[in-house]
Amino acid sequence: MSETGFFTDTTLCIGCKACEVACKQWNELPSDGFEFTGESYDNTSQLSGTTWRHVAFVEQVAVDPAAASPIVEKWLMMSDVCKHCTNAGCHEACPTGAIVKNEFGNVFVQPDVCNGCGYCVVSCPFGVIDLVDPIDEDRKYAVANLNEARRDNNQTAIQNNGGVAGKCTLCYDRQKIGETPACAKACPTESIQFGNLVELRERANVRVETLLGRGIDARLYGAEDIGGGIGPLNAFFLLTDRPEIYNLPTAPVLPSTRQPAGYAAAAGTALALAIAGWAIFRSR
Amino acid sequence: MNPDYYGRPVLKAPHWGWNVVTYLFLGGVTGGLGIIAALADPKDESGLKLRKTARYTALAVAAANPVILISHLGRPERFLHMLRTFKPGSPMSLGVWGLVAYSATAAATTVIEDDRLTALQALLGAYLAGYTGVLLSATAVPLWGAGKAHIPAASVCSGIASACALVSAISCMTGNSEAVRKLERFELVATAGEVAVLVHFSMAGGPRVGRLASRVAVPLALALVGNLVHVPERYGRMRTLLASALTMTAGYLFRNALIAEGIASTKDPGAGFRQPE
Amino acid sequence: MPGLGTSFGRGGATSYVQDLQNADCILIEGSNFAEAHPVAFRFVMKAKERGATIVHVDPRFTRTSALADLYIALRSGSDIAFLGGIVNWVLQNERYFREYVLAYTNASYLVREDFRDTEDLAGLFSGFDENAKAYDRESWDFERKADGCIARDETLAHPRCVINVLRRHFSRYTPEMVERVCGVSQAQFGQLCETLARNSGRERTTAFAYAVGWTQHTVGVQYIRTASILQLLLGNIGRPGGGIMALRGHANIQGATDIATLYDLLPGYLRMPSTTRDEQTLAAYLRTNARLGWWEHLPAYIVSLLKAFYGEAATAQNDYCFDYLPQCTGDHSTLPTQIAMKDGIVKGYFVIGQNPAASGQNGAMINAGLERLDWMVNVDAYETETASFWKREGADPATIATECFFIPAATILEKDGTMVNTNRLLQWHDRAIAPIGESVTDAWFLYTLGKRLKELYAGSNDAKDRPLLDMTWEYGKDDPSALRILQEINGFDTRSGEQLRSFTDLRDDGSTAAGAWIYTGVCPDADTNNARARRGDDDAALGWGWAWPANRRMLYNRASAAPDGTPWSERKRYVWWDEQASRWSGTDVADVVPGARPGHDDQAFLMQTDGLGALFVPGGGLADGPFPTHYEPSASVVENALYPQQNNPTMRTWRRSDNRSPASIDPQYPHVLTTYRITEMSGIMTRYIPWLAELQPAAFCEIDPQLAVEQGIASGDTVTVSTVLGELECRVLVSGRMRPLRIDGKRVHTVGVPYNFGALGFARGDSVGELIPLVMDPNVSIHESKSLTCAIRLGPRSPR
Ligand SMILES: Nc1nc2c(c(=O)[nH]1)N[C@H]1C(S)=C(S)[C@@H](COP(=O)(O)OP(=O)(O)OC[C@H]3O[C@@H](n4cnc5c(=O)[nH]c(N)nc54)[C@H](O)[C@@H]3O)O[C@H]1N2
Ligand SMILES: Nc1nc2c(c(=O)[nH]1)N[C@H]1C(S)=C(S)[C@@H](COP(=O)(O)OP(=O)(O)OC[C@H]3O[C@@H](n4cnc5c(=O)[nH]c(N)nc54)[C@H](O)[C@@H]3O)O[C@H]1N2
Ligand code: SF4
Ligand code: SF4
Ligand code: SF4
Ligand code: SF4
Ligand code: SF4
Ligand SMILES: [Mo]
Repeated sequence: MSETGFFTDTTLCIGCKACEVACKQWNELPSDGFEFTGESYDNTSQLSGTTWRHVAFVEQVAVDPAAASPIVEKWLMMSDVCKHCTNAGCHEACPTGAIVKNEFGNVFVQPDVCNGCGYCVVSCPFGVIDLVDPIDEDRKYAVANLNEARRDNNQTAIQNNGGVAGKCTLCYDRQKIGETPACAKACPTESIQFGNLVELRERANVRVETLLGRGIDARLYGAEDIGGGIGPLNAFFLLTDRPEIYNLPTAPVLPSTRQPAGYAAAAGTALALAIAGWAIFRSR
Repeated sequence: MNPDYYGRPVLKAPHWGWNVVTYLFLGGVTGGLGIIAALADPKDESGLKLRKTARYTALAVAAANPVILISHLGRPERFLHMLRTFKPGSPMSLGVWGLVAYSATAAATTVIEDDRLTALQALLGAYLAGYTGVLLSATAVPLWGAGKAHIPAASVCSGIASACALVSAISCMTGNSEAVRKLERFELVATAGEVAVLVHFSMAGGPRVGRLASRVAVPLALALVGNLVHVPERYGRMRTLLASALTMTAGYLFRNALIAEGIASTKDPGAGFRQPE
Repeated sequence: MPGLGTSFGRGGATSYVQDLQNADCILIEGSNFAEAHPVAFRFVMKAKERGATIVHVDPRFTRTSALADLYIALRSGSDIAFLGGIVNWVLQNERYFREYVLAYTNASYLVREDFRDTEDLAGLFSGFDENAKAYDRESWDFERKADGCIARDETLAHPRCVINVLRRHFSRYTPEMVERVCGVSQAQFGQLCETLARNSGRERTTAFAYAVGWTQHTVGVQYIRTASILQLLLGNIGRPGGGIMALRGHANIQGATDIATLYDLLPGYLRMPSTTRDEQTLAAYLRTNARLGWWEHLPAYIVSLLKAFYGEAATAQNDYCFDYLPQCTGDHSTLPTQIAMKDGIVKGYFVIGQNPAASGQNGAMINAGLERLDWMVNVDAYETETASFWKREGADPATIATECFFIPAATILEKDGTMVNTNRLLQWHDRAIAPIGESVTDAWFLYTLGKRLKELYAGSNDAKDRPLLDMTWEYGKDDPSALRILQEINGFDTRSGEQLRSFTDLRDDGSTAAGAWIYTGVCPDADTNNARARRGDDDAALGWGWAWPANRRMLYNRASAAPDGTPWSERKRYVWWDEQASRWSGTDVADVVPGARPGHDDQAFLMQTDGLGALFVPGGGLADGPFPTHYEPSASVVENALYPQQNNPTMRTWRRSDNRSPASIDPQYPHVLTTYRITEMSGIMTRYIPWLAELQPAAFCEIDPQLAVEQGIASGDTVTVSTVLGELECRVLVSGRMRPLRIDGKRVHTVGVPYNFGALGFARGDSVGELIPLVMDPNVSIHESKSLTCAIRLGPRSPR
């Protein structure tokens, strides 16, 4: 089975948030609350355990000396999602094996296995995965628009009464029946392109060339090895500015790469103290 | 131009509170107790007594700890899912298996006196104490990642120091003053080690390392003072108990500060842009 | 849409959205295309990918602007000055498409000698009656030769040639003037003019797209007229990648207009008979309405319609029951009706799929009017602000006597039927689930209501009850069949019962019946429902759904070829004359009368009396002028820099205590106020959907950072926006996307307020309608909600 993923081309994004809504609808996720942020058109602010696509809105002010008021000349929009890392921090960290790499090469959380330890949350270098509060069975249907018929399909945290981790499934259930993920399907401008990774990467490279030819500062994020031991991202992006602008890490690091140093330091310390202790306890 | 996204953090904050703090603290303590049990000299009476005390306490703490771990889970009834797989690459998985193995060994040593078992318990104990640090340092949390070597090292020191404090308090109550004297020396060395590691860590710097250091400075100083100060003979027991309490408090506060400042470090906008190697 | 109707002959978008991808340049002005029409915007993006230049002209930098190659900020309410400036530039620099203009427009016609332009009369045309606030339009006409034919000068030299009169009319719309009036720099303006001209002509085409940013003004129709003139001059109508895309609003607003929700139209755009035109008999009606051009077929259309309405009862002897039709006695459009309700004249109110208490203008008056009704019936999927007006903030239910009925409506997924989109495309949809709970379809409600009324009046001999009793009303036993309704609209032979294939089959002798002639062909036989067709392709997709008229996708496409029938250019070929086959061929159904060939009966604008695109709209066409003229909005922040005449002299206002309207310039309300929609919200339907509500969770306004600093406001604060009429409390979004403009030497700030909010839902807040007094344009009775004046301050409003 060839690996699938997303190429999200931000130059085509019109910020309609159809992806965000389609994802919630397909996956029967609840809203994250109704809070007006005053931060451009972004009122959901970030990915969460129940927001698996998030559209960022970046207003860039031109420094125009003649202008009396700061003037926005560029309004960048970008639909963020789980990166489905080749070496995924969440996947490595998960102690229960709830997080797996499925047959499509996507990182999938099995909500019926997860026990909500939260270790994946702190192990994602991109701040994607998060825990969903526990919900009792009675309230479940009030929280989300659950479809009785899909009750048992064990795709999401909510279907499992919460208390577990949630993130993009890359629409595992849809892929299994040959459907395009809901977000990509809903995107009116093909900003979100789903498909075979090899093809997507080729397309992305061509696209970058085209855009560079038009004088646009296009660059790919995660199409190749992103560094830090993570490898390429199966959901990669075409950006027109530095990643930080979109709240993406410039230099993410796979947390597990720090384990050897940690164990070594611990072992060294333990050894040193053991010697000291030996001296103390065994001296006559 | 905005350096960050409306001040929103890149990373997700840990959902960890008092129970994880306690779990880490007790993990360090029980690990330390395993080491003490092995170090205690079986050839003298006080040593033998100390070894027994350490073993029983270690077993008790090791047995209590899963309860605390379970209490922090989103789905406590699924604790056993931790045991459905063994993933040495996951500190959490390895740690849980380590705790299981340690508990089993600790239980065994209370009934079987065997040098190899004793050594095994000490080894597993060292692992356990160190794992409470690696569990944190091998995450994306900026503070923890920055302390990839320091935190595990300090965790070992802190675990051993608190373990010493715990058994010295018990030994003090049971009148094993010889053990108390040795334990206090060991405790002092471990605490001093911890201080050294943390001083080095704060000199190396990192997100919110300064805040971490300032939060633990006073408790650690007090713990050191408690062990160093000379008091008249009749206050000896009281001093020992007080010093033990101070050391254990410092140990707990160290874990607490680690978690709290770790959480704070994830909330710092931009802290996740460039992650520590 | 008389702006397009008077210019080209049909009141609809001249093209289809997919065709936008063929454009070399797209000017989006008066629409927030990406936000209000995100799916159609896909084709703008495709054009952009193919190298087209996308321009957005809007008072606000929106998501559309973000994707455009060129964004131009202009002051709300100044588009005629702006577009007029472009017309002037095109004429001054001789950049129009001469062959096209000569062949397909009335540029060469001579205007009557006694016509006087705004240049002569300080901003008025000849014939203005100050008391009636209306024009005598006699002089707005062409000069006729002795034989009755219109005089023309093909050399375009005569000073009274339409094009020269036009030239003179817009001569003062210079780039300097555009800068003064609109706040657009001359450099940007020049850049745009050059872009448009470069992307028009034989080889290239430019498309315009607008929506209600151009219509909701006192001169809205004339905005569209200016665009029409410009597109005719540039030769962009009826050609691929050209045209004027009027983006329709609600999913089925086109269908609703086709089948006549407007008070003065019968289905298929036949005029409603009116006492004001003395149309008591069929003969009189035909006399006033059957004009030259295509409308000579009106008798067949109206008789077939009457046959569809009244069946057997309609006979030649009784004028096919023409006298059953209600007659208009004046302006019964929304705003006058709203006032009549407030004044106790209107007693009962059916509100079906509309929420005036949230979306209407002068909300206080609407609520007061609802309180005075005897009864109100609400058919809606939600209990709207209108349905629950009696329990709104500040109302005392005990004092309200209106008897209210609420019928829960089934939504689109729960019913069969068609939607007609911007492309005039009928698309069938099957119901996915049965109506939930007690909800019923709109068709069921109306059908059942009709049946019950018929039962109630059964046996009556009273003549006034005949229309109801004779009305054909057989669409099924309980649930009406949407297909049967569509088949009746399509039309059938009254003798054989066979479905009709084309409107050319319609007759004026009672042998045919059709509910709307424009739809004839959608169900051409008993087994075919073309609205169901789903054979798509990347061109005109003639096999997908069915578009009126005659499944033609691009109107006036005859103009895509030169007069001799050959394409203007290879690159822009669309429909052309195939000499060998002796027929028109191409991507689309040719828009010519049957039997037309080059030089013979082949008018490009065949619905027009003279078959030509109108640069000059003669006589009866429009109430406020044969040419567009810039007037300031009824309330403005500046004086009209172009003429002494400040406002549209024919606009309709109501100066009364319940409709307090601002002075034309009032320093207490120093900012421009504009209203619009946002992608995430429509009406109450979206406010109750948590997934949408979380995306825009509260009513808000948008202001520029400078105004924010001046008023001590920070993004996220609660503020109050006020006009003479009322106050609105909302959150504020401070953003550099809003720009202060320099207008006539003065700094002008704009306050933008999305109109989608109301008191109910997860996302809620005050409705902006509370701020907007009733002011109406003279042609289509539309409200003025796109450019007003206001003040803003920090803090909540006073309680209602
Ligand atoms: N998401 C969403 N989509 C919708 C709707 C909805 O409620 N929500 N409603 C539907 C309906 S009913 C309609 S009619 C359409 C309307 O579609 P649009 O007309 O595209 O929508 P608006 O947002 O009302 O107005 C368009 C733009 O006009 C600008 N504008 C205001 N005044 C002026 C002016 O004087 N000149 C110019 N050039 N621009 C001006 C506003 O800033 C705004 O950006 O949208 C339809 N689509
Ligand atoms: N200030 C300001 N005011 C404006 C505008 C503006 O730009 N600025 N725009 C104007 C424009 S263009 C428009 S079109 C109007 C829109 O004004 P409205 O039509 O009043 O607005 P909606 O909220 O879209 O109302 C549609 C109603 O239909 C209901 N509904 C949905 N589906 C069905 C159905 O199948 N059957 C029935 N019976 N009901 C159904 C919905 O629940 C909703 O209550 O607002 C106008 N008002
Ligand atoms: S982005 Fe985070 S949640 Fe997604 S696969 Fe990578 S590590 Fe896991
Ligand atoms: S929260 Fe669930 S998915 Fe995440 S690491 Fe723990 S068990 Fe694995
Ligand atoms: S792939 Fe599916 S789960 Fe992932 S963001 Fe898209 S819609 Fe949501
Ligand atoms: S659906 Fe597509 S265009 Fe719309 S916000 Fe998402 S990525 Fe952007
Ligand atoms: S809301 Fe419906 S009609 Fe409007 S753009 Fe989206 S899909 Fe099209
Ligand atoms: Mo509309």
